[in-house]
Amino acid sequence: MSTIIHSKQHHPGHIRQTSADRWAKIIAYIIVGFFGLICLYPLLLTVVVSFTPDETVVKEGYRLIPSQLSLNTYTYLFDQSGGRIAKSYLVTIFITAVGTFGSMLVTCMISYAISLREMKYRNVIAFICNFTSIFSAGLVPWYVICTKWYGLHNNILGLILPMMFSVWNMFLMRTYFKAISPSLYEAAKIDGAGHMTIFFRIALPLSVTALLTVGMMYALCYWNDWWHALMFIEDRDLFPLQYFLYKMMSNVNAINSGRVPAGAAAGLKLPAETAKMAVTIVTIGPIIFLYPFIQRYFVRGILTGAVKE
Amino acid sequence: MQKTILPTKRGFRWEMKHNRTLYLMCIPALLLLLAFSYLPMGGMYMAFTNYNVKDGIFGSPFVGFENFSYFLNGNPYFWKAVRNTLFINFWGLIFGTIVPISIAIAMNEVKNGPFKKISQSAMFFPYFLSWVVIGAVLYGFLTANFRIDRKTGELITTGANGVANRALMVLGAKPIRWYAEAKYWRTIIIFLDVWKWAGYNSIVYMAAMAQFDGSLYEAATIDGASRFQQIRYLTLPMLKSTVVVLTLLSIGRIFYGDMGMIWGLVGQNGTLLDEVSVIDTYVYTSMRTMGFGFSSAIGLCQSMMGLILIILANALAKKINDGEGLF
Repeated sequence: MSTIIHSKQHHPGHIRQTSADRWAKIIAYIIVGFFGLICLYPLLLTVVVSFTPDETVVKEGYRLIPSQLSLNTYTYLFDQSGGRIAKSYLVTIFITAVGTFGSMLVTCMISYAISLREMKYRNVIAFICNFTSIFSAGLVPWYVICTKWYGLHNNILGLILPMMFSVWNMFLMRTYFKAISPSLYEAAKIDGAGHMTIFFRIALPLSVTALLTVGMMYALCYWNDWWHALMFIEDRDLFPLQYFLYKMMSNVNAINSGRVPAGAAAGLKLPAETAKMAVTIVTIGPIIFLYPFIQRYFVRGILTGAVKE
Repeated sequence: MQKTILPTKRGFRWEMKHNRTLYLMCIPALLLLLAFSYLPMGGMYMAFTNYNVKDGIFGSPFVGFENFSYFLNGNPYFWKAVRNTLFINFWGLIFGTIVPISIAIAMNEVKNGPFKKISQSAMFFPYFLSWVVIGAVLYGFLTANFRIDRKTGELITTGANGVANRALMVLGAKPIRWYAEAKYWRTIIIFLDVWKWAGYNSIVYMAAMAQFDGSLYEAATIDGASRFQQIRYLTLPMLKSTVVVLTLLSIGRIFYGDMGMIWGLVGQNGTLLDEVSVIDTYVYTSMRTMGFGFSSAIGLCQSMMGLILIILANALAKKINDGEGLF
């Protein structure tokens, strides 16, 4: 991956650096290095602990360089609750795949339409979209309508539909479509192409990077979502991975609060220390491996969004 | 005056017929907005009813402003949630501005190379983690398993201890039962909020800095200005408009707490939740305990305040930024 943003280096070579400038440099390296470590360390710790034997963690505490390493936690995890985790993984993969595909179709169509100047009411539609981002009904009416009217309770659609259209992503996509030269569309129109043909044959193929950027933003939202499961899902077979982790950690949390009576606490079976970290790693899952490749698309998205029209 | 028919003079019907495909392409998205944003807005009516499941939103008995007076008149939990929301958002805004700007400026001084690449990637990574995952990672820092012997007062570890407690013990201090001590958690939450978004926001500021005129810096260098002076008198003043816009946006959302954050970090831990509850989590918990009518009334107040603030912020942004608003 190339450096995220090529900063302009304002250092004309022929001028001698003063000692104050050297200090500026040293401080800059310290700030960057320090904050980089603060962000990297927790993740490394989680990975390392998941590969440490449980007894070692109990004895030595959470540490980056343990005296022993092992794969036991993962084998134990898959023996004990492999079925559960596999099921949750499938739920997560399903909602991510279906959700992202649906979102992209819905988002690209409306963004293409309102990116065209010939559409008279494009600003009305943009306003209808924008208004939802400055005013919302709040949780309760939304929840009542979702469960009572649409029947999203214990329904996998409840994990897909409410997140399917993001106004922010639509404006992002519109910016990309606007960058396409209208003369390309004109040429296609003269050849008798309708808007559907132009959309699928010209606009989409010309925006592959934009599609990847916005698509990954949606995919990340679906992958990381546990909130809608908290709202709608009680059936364990429909738990996405994130919610599986949430359930596990909130049991641990409740016991640590000291409010749960000892009798009830004994009834809750807690995973071993290392298992918690292993489930966390499994939940982050493909993001870790894909991160080096997908990171720049997100940066591009931020940059496009940051530039106001 | 032109005699030809301009496209803008054509009516609604002509437009619908001529651009039918385009409007059809908007329909799926608009239906989703209708279903999940606009119909719930109609459902806000339930704030004025004594909602019950059997009669539904529009059949339940109308009670006027009863739900509102109930929480506005000295309900301590509600006002605590309001104070927490403002407190967390205020400090989140302050540090969430200072930290990313410092990173962005420092990043600009660092030479392009592997060190810069790796630290930049590391800083951006928290953005990719859900609050539940962050909560689990945090557990590795804060977990506490120890007891104090009644007779000897000796410290005995009874299981794994997190990084924070190990550090305290190494320093000879007493470890802390983090998950039972609510007083630390507002700070922890603000810290993690800044931590999660710092990489993301520093990219926004670096993007702004990349637009700055490089010749200004060259001129300053030739005039003998040190890097510190250049940052103080060039970079910071030029960042002001970006900071103002982002700050106004945050002020527009100051009454909204991040429920995902609080719930993902604190979860079902009642001891902590009492201390860090924000308006959004209070609405969620009161939905179960106090009923739908009551909790939707709180949501309605919050939305109204949010709308007023964002409109004011927008007007202010227009005034400051030569007619360019936030949206």
